[in-house]
Amino acid sequence: MRTFRIAAAAALLGATALAAPAHADVKIGLLGGVSGPIAAMAPAMIDSANLAISQVNDAGGILDGQKLVGVVGDSACNPQNATDAATKAVNIEGVVAVVGPHCSGAVLAAANSVTIPAGIVIVTPSGTSPEITSLKDNDTVFRTVPSDDFQGRALARTLLERGTKKVAVAYLNNDYGKGLAESFRAEFEAQGGEIAGYAAHEGEKASYRSNLADLASGGADTLVILDYGDGSGLTMLRQALENGFFENFVGADGMKSDAPIKELGAENLETFLASAPVGEQSTSLDAFSKAFSDIGGDPSAIFVTTSYDAAFMLALAIEKAGGDKAKVAASLREISNGEGEPILPGEWAKAKELIAAGTAIDYKGAAGEHNFDEAGDVPGAYALFRVSGNGFEVVSEMK
Amino acid sequence: MDAMELINFYLVPGIVVGSIYALGAVGITLVFAILRYAHLAHGDLATFGAFLALGVVTLGGVSPYVALPVAMAVTAAVAVGIDRTFYAYLRERPKIVTVMASLGVALMVRAVVQIVWGVDSQTYTRGIVRPENWFGIRIRDREIVTVLAMIALVVALQLFLKYSKWGKAMRAMSDNPDLALLSGVDNRKVVLLTWTIVGGLCAAAGVFLGLNYELKALMGWTMLLPMFAAAILGGVGRVEGAVLGGLIVGIAEEMSALFLPTEYKAATAFAILLLMLLVRPTGLLKGKVL
Amino acid sequence: MEWLGFVNYAVFMAIFIGIYALLALGLNIQWGYTGLFNAGIAGFFAVGAYTSAILTSPFAEGRVGGFDLPVPVGWLGAMVAAGLIAWPIGKICLRLRSDYLAIATIGVAEIIRLVVKSESWLTNAARGITDIPRPFGDLAYTMSQLAYLAIVAGVLLVAYLLVERQFASPWGRMMRAIRDNEDAARAMGKDVPYRRLEAFIFGSALMGLGGALFAHFNRTITPEAIDPMVATFLVWIMLILGGSGNNRGAILGVAVVWIIWSMSEIVTDRLPHEYAVKAKYLRVFLIGLMLQVVLRFRPEGLLPEPQKRGPRPDPAASGARPPASPD
Repeated sequence: MRTFRIAAAAALLGATALAAPAHADVKIGLLGGVSGPIAAMAPAMIDSANLAISQVNDAGGILDGQKLVGVVGDSACNPQNATDAATKAVNIEGVVAVVGPHCSGAVLAAANSVTIPAGIVIVTPSGTSPEITSLKDNDTVFRTVPSDDFQGRALARTLLERGTKKVAVAYLNNDYGKGLAESFRAEFEAQGGEIAGYAAHEGEKASYRSNLADLASGGADTLVILDYGDGSGLTMLRQALENGFFENFVGADGMKSDAPIKELGAENLETFLASAPVGEQSTSLDAFSKAFSDIGGDPSAIFVTTSYDAAFMLALAIEKAGGDKAKVAASLREISNGEGEPILPGEWAKAKELIAAGTAIDYKGAAGEHNFDEAGDVPGAYALFRVSGNGFEVVSEMK
Repeated sequence: MDAMELINFYLVPGIVVGSIYALGAVGITLVFAILRYAHLAHGDLATFGAFLALGVVTLGGVSPYVALPVAMAVTAAVAVGIDRTFYAYLRERPKIVTVMASLGVALMVRAVVQIVWGVDSQTYTRGIVRPENWFGIRIRDREIVTVLAMIALVVALQLFLKYSKWGKAMRAMSDNPDLALLSGVDNRKVVLLTWTIVGGLCAAAGVFLGLNYELKALMGWTMLLPMFAAAILGGVGRVEGAVLGGLIVGIAEEMSALFLPTEYKAATAFAILLLMLLVRPTGLLKGKVL
Repeated sequence: MEWLGFVNYAVFMAIFIGIYALLALGLNIQWGYTGLFNAGIAGFFAVGAYTSAILTSPFAEGRVGGFDLPVPVGWLGAMVAAGLIAWPIGKICLRLRSDYLAIATIGVAEIIRLVVKSESWLTNAARGITDIPRPFGDLAYTMSQLAYLAIVAGVLLVAYLLVERQFASPWGRMMRAIRDNEDAARAMGKDVPYRRLEAFIFGSALMGLGGALFAHFNRTITPEAIDPMVATFLVWIMLILGGSGNNRGAILGVAVVWIIWSMSEIVTDRLPHEYAVKAKYLRVFLIGLMLQVVLRFRPEGLLPEPQKRGPRPDPAASGARPPASPD
């Protein structure tokens, strides 16, 4: 039976993977939704994590000059594939830690059934659900993206400060959009703003004109879109602009993407603002942006900064832990607790020396300080961006 | 809300998206009627056609309207090739096996699109197009073209089915395959012709979807279920039924924003379909009972 | 260490195969034995998963339940709830012929998915339900997986034996008679609509149980798990590939498809590093291609339905054509 021969060949190939030499490389898993609903976002996120890995290797490698290797796994944004990919990464590839998965549902499933029991640290760059906070994780689940709560509230306060008192809110019906929308609405109304339209939408529909007409009927001239800029958020922004439903548009980090500028044109986006997490020192973001642009990446793509930070911090933590899986979590807290010699993105050689000398270091990430709290969450620091030229520039800090 | 608003923001978008559903549903209904199975690769084939046109647009620097016939022709050839390679030898098997094969084809076609054209959202032309104002009715040129092209394609198809020799053979296969075979209709040619037409329609649906909105690697797959709903709604095997079904599904989805929470928009097509199946299980226009 | 990793992976796959085997068995009752084209597996999977989650998870603010009941109660509840949902659907839709039933069930499943995704008070909407207890979940990684595998295997064995016994019985013969020639069965005085409803509910209850086992394994259930691709179409491929009408075939189909699905990633990971992302698309292509290969050489399924008396008419063909004889 040819079928069985092929199956046997596949199994054999799989088995040779098992026989890969041990201790030669240090592996970390890069689990992401490569296929599935966020397929458009995943490649850039994985590229930026790979940038961190190649920086480590270019500057002398990890531990005793070993090579750091990123093992890409497809979590496909669903629990079935996420647990499968995580199991393979942990058991077959033998990764020391994992960056990802990308979607909250995938994070919850992979953490619960694979990485927490196996004691492997995972750092998700984009799983924003508050449910992740309350995981009983033995301190192995972290994230470099703040829970939606911080950003939604900061965005509400910033808009009110800028004199916008009345808005309509359109959000994507998933954990990201819903979380942002709920916290935004709570804060905006508490501070005296008026929400004149508040509706969820399913992603991947072709037309949102009726949704927009419905939202516009409340009389607001500002639309807050809590969605992804290379998915249905783009469609919505386009249709709102074309039909003149609103004058001003505000998005969160999901909308601060290159896609609207590329597809709609910067000249049409003069009234478009987006918030996104930034570090206290903008030099961190600049360092990352330059390095990522140099390899052909787009530094304003969604969640690339958080992905990069996750990978770079894990590398630092593994170095600090001496490659011991069990110590990675504790080391991850030590390398970024606000005390010690500051380390910027890409400064691997410097960090390695300091770690070797036993000096405390403090990573200043491209997407924030990443001083983890008890639950492994990070408080966010945000700035408001506007479109300028073919990129984004900071308008103001957000409090 | 005044009547103009209702037309501009609910009816017109509904008709445009409905026309695209209609193009897809016509292809689905043809496969259903002549080959007698649900073709699950239909959506991904439409995506393929749309990206093919994008390739022509970017390489040739031509307008998407020029790229449309090219994409239709190539997709038609690809559809015939897929049939020859993956479906032909299953013809005498239970139809469910072919349905599964078409699911495998859907995965393969999607993978090809993702490998060749990537996964980013793309457009044929950069920038935005504001609608023109025709006596209060706001509509974009490309929307008029979409609806007119859909009507032209469907009318041409109907004329072909009604008056040409091979069109008649296709209808005969659809009505009674055994009788058609006995009366000397060449089964293989009918299948070939069916796939040529279906492939072309797929590409047209994809191109107009991309033209009016954006091109995404998964756009066809997400359109598949509403297109199926439209085909069944209209009555299986009825081309004009599929058009009617597509328009109803499109308009109902947009209108649903008036009385349903918008997160349930996608459920509208199915709610209508379920209601219709209860009242009239053969579809709006009397279709086949498979 | 390495062999332990391999054991962990194998056990994980076996658990998944066990869970999906329940879905495939449920579908086999509906399609393989009764000829009901249920394309809404994801809906019943979701009802089962969420019912058990609500019954067994601890109290949570803002949504119904968190009743903290014992796990077996949750699983029983999942089967009952899935069966209860199946009852009105079957009552209304089963009079439709196969392809119409398919689209009707897809529609119901999509509506269930949207409800699950949108109604905070019921399912915590897009965030899903967490803290679902996993039996023996406090054990170490490998032991905990092995314990869960034992449970899944036990449940599957019971389900398998029940289904097998049922089909060897006169009831099973009657179901096949209804599938193969409805009119004749009716003429013999069989209550065809009632029997088909019975099979539909029984199959759906098994799918609900599969959903519950899945939720407890991951200790969480989110709407992403009930995507039609991974929860409906995948199960169909498994059944058709394995051999519909044959329970062992169904289980074998699950194993083969899941192994293709999972191992294909290991194969494509052999590609050079710079193609790591593209390799994932290639993997999807490979999965599609492997399906074609199996269908090419075993179109009747890996383990076809045993043919005892003459060729079996084809329930899938749409009626207008005489059935092709399986060879």
